[in-house]
Amino acid sequence: MNELYQLLTGPMLWLTFFVFTFGTLYKLLSILVLTIQKEPFIMSVFSFKYGMRSILSWMTPFKPVSMKKHPVLSSVIYVFHICLFIAPLFLMAHITLLDESWGLVWPSLSDSLIDYLTLIVLACCLFYFIRRLTQKEVNYLTSQSDYILLAIVALPFFTGLMAYHQWFAYGFFLNLHILSGEIMLMAIPFTRLSHMIISPLTRAYMGSEFGEIRHAKDW
Amino acid sequence: MSEQVNKIVDKGLDQGVINLTQERIEKAINQVLNKEAGARLKSYVETCVHCGMCSEACHVYLSKDKDPIYSPAGKVKRTLSEMIQKKGKVSPEFIREASIIASTECNLCKRCAMYCPFGIDVAYLLLLVRRICHLCGVTPLYIQDTAHSHSVTMNQMWVKDDEWIDTLQWQEEEAQAEIPNLRIPLEKEGADIMYSVIGPEPKFQAHLIYYMSVIMKAAGIDWTMPATPGWDNSDMAMYTGDNEIMGRVKRMHFDTAARLKVNRIIMGECGHAFRSVHDMGNRWLGYKLPPIPVIHAIEFYHELLSSGKIKIKDQYDKKVTLHDPCNVIRGRGLGELSRKVVNTLCSNFVEMTPNREHNYCCNAGGGVINTGPPFKNKRVLSNRIKAEQMAATGADVVISPCHNCHSGLEDIVHHYKLNMEVKFIGEIIYNHMEKPTA
Amino acid sequence: MIPKIYSIVIAITLVLYLSTGVLSQEDMLVIDNRPFADTTRPNAIFQHDVHNEKAEIEDCATCHHVYDEDKGEFIPDQSSEDQRCYECHDLKETGKKPGLMKAFHLKCKRCHQEQKKGPLMCGDCHRK
Repeated sequence: MNELYQLLTGPMLWLTFFVFTFGTLYKLLSILVLTIQKEPFIMSVFSFKYGMRSILSWMTPFKPVSMKKHPVLSSVIYVFHICLFIAPLFLMAHITLLDESWGLVWPSLSDSLIDYLTLIVLACCLFYFIRRLTQKEVNYLTSQSDYILLAIVALPFFTGLMAYHQWFAYGFFLNLHILSGEIMLMAIPFTRLSHMIISPLTRAYMGSEFGEIRHAKDW
Repeated sequence: MSEQVNKIVDKGLDQGVINLTQERIEKAINQVLNKEAGARLKSYVETCVHCGMCSEACHVYLSKDKDPIYSPAGKVKRTLSEMIQKKGKVSPEFIREASIIASTECNLCKRCAMYCPFGIDVAYLLLLVRRICHLCGVTPLYIQDTAHSHSVTMNQMWVKDDEWIDTLQWQEEEAQAEIPNLRIPLEKEGADIMYSVIGPEPKFQAHLIYYMSVIMKAAGIDWTMPATPGWDNSDMAMYTGDNEIMGRVKRMHFDTAARLKVNRIIMGECGHAFRSVHDMGNRWLGYKLPPIPVIHAIEFYHELLSSGKIKIKDQYDKKVTLHDPCNVIRGRGLGELSRKVVNTLCSNFVEMTPNREHNYCCNAGGGVINTGPPFKNKRVLSNRIKAEQMAATGADVVISPCHNCHSGLEDIVHHYKLNMEVKFIGEIIYNHMEKPTA
Repeated sequence: MIPKIYSIVIAITLVLYLSTGVLSQEDMLVIDNRPFADTTRPNAIFQHDVHNEKAEIEDCATCHHVYDEDKGEFIPDQSSEDQRCYECHDLKETGKKPGLMKAFHLKCKRCHQEQKKGPLMCGDCHRK
């Protein structure tokens, strides 16, 4: 068990950081190169001002008409993404490990709060799952990979919850927690989870088109 | 669904499929997806998380009882995604279906780009599908015919060079009955403005040129129209995916204005033509914006009315509502100006909801109406939502400053028995302005 | 495609599960956590004599070290078993001297890692 733990927190973690970082850079670079090679006009259209205008408008709760049309989904998306980032980044156990390895420290939130955030993330995943199954227009667009991606995201949180409470087999869940977290991070640049990297760019591009060229709102 | 569509007989599609080989399909798909398209295609395809939020944006989806196959992402799934997944190994029949989807079930209105949290431009993706179908030679007959006309005559309607001049002189004579010294100045080098129209105006709606000549006369504008090809600002090749012809047509238009040494081009009440000079054609030619300022009629009317060059003698008092055409509202932000113009002209104006950028599409633009009679029924049936939206205003008149919208709304008014008139702004100005007597 | 994914998932699950050791349930003695104002985890299990016997630790200074701050090194042959850890290690890190929690963690885990014996995972010491 310890051997596996050491493997996962040692070489595998380095591999994960490597794949995630270089995958992300590769993704960004390939988009940039493609833009310059084939669609250089995008560069002339791109506007920091209007790109930010669009991104900020879309980050403002219920400003876009589209969000107003989907109040429940929008709220879930909102809460989900906030919890998704806060829970792992401000968990004391994670920060302690980083401190011990690299001396990196930042304030943490209480374990019980993170416990709730984790439950919220899982509840949101369940919502997405049910929505994919039951909403006609979503179900039509859904393929097997969408469920796999959802599982990839939900698993680190589920196993983290199990490991934290030391329910059932602690070592098993902790190792699975680390592994699934690593899988999620490595999947980000190479799956639709890459919307984490790309969506600010697509949003900013559309914002620039609407602001700079079309003189219209895009929310 | 597909049974019903397959019953539609369209010679362009049917003959195209017969001529189509597997190699040609793969070559076309490879050409467009791997050689021509770039960052946008890659980003859009790889980031869409299939959330379905774009659905609510689409008038076809909403009109078709929210059938998921008609959602924007649903249409991409039925066309482009399949081509990508199968690496271009799709059947000729699939290309036929893809052509129908891309050319008749999406108006490229870009409303969905405003409903996708990531700003994914489905209209662009479906234009790529049209481009692939074009390279496969499977494009609906009627719109292909207009593209052919563009390539041969540089106008959309097979108007011959002498017929064009003839039509202008005919309208000039008609107008002279009202204002004896009115002229439609042809080939006047160094005029301030070149006025350009779309092919269907001289072909079917020549009176609109008459109206504009009266407006120009009353406002004392130094204007001209070209007597050569290049007078047509429309561009249906843009909508068939025939980018090469699109570029040629646009270049001819800009070159004509440059030859006449005008300061700017004013274009009539047309939406797609504006898109072709402000968004697509200009970019194909390497211009971020048109090389010569191109002013849409809405903006021009606003200029004339607000500067007092045109005075309104009596306001139009019927209850009017205003349709916001995608290409000049979502495409150029003229929503406020069009309202100012309408409020100046009309005493009883009511909004339709949603409006401005969020207005529902007419379902005629994007070249859909140009696919002609085989698809007319389908087109009207798949825009019930527009009929409901217009009916809810209780207006007698719907003003539509775009040709495609105008024709599409007329079809909808007729089919759903809305008992409304569809009017251009220019018509109302002509009828309610102070006219010069000489 | 599908069976492949499932078999991978099952394989990973099995490997992880079988590698779970059976943990001993002897009487526990724990690390004194009173110096910490508020604790988020249960105090760490540590049976001093049993541990040292099992680990064959004779030299108290293995854990109860003395550090020469001027020279920047541990002083050999000196031990500090008459002192409590928190008498030197404050709660917060000061300079190169790790805070109390970090000192505990590093002391235990580094040795366990070197010796390839003893727990490493959080919950193996902080047992609920």
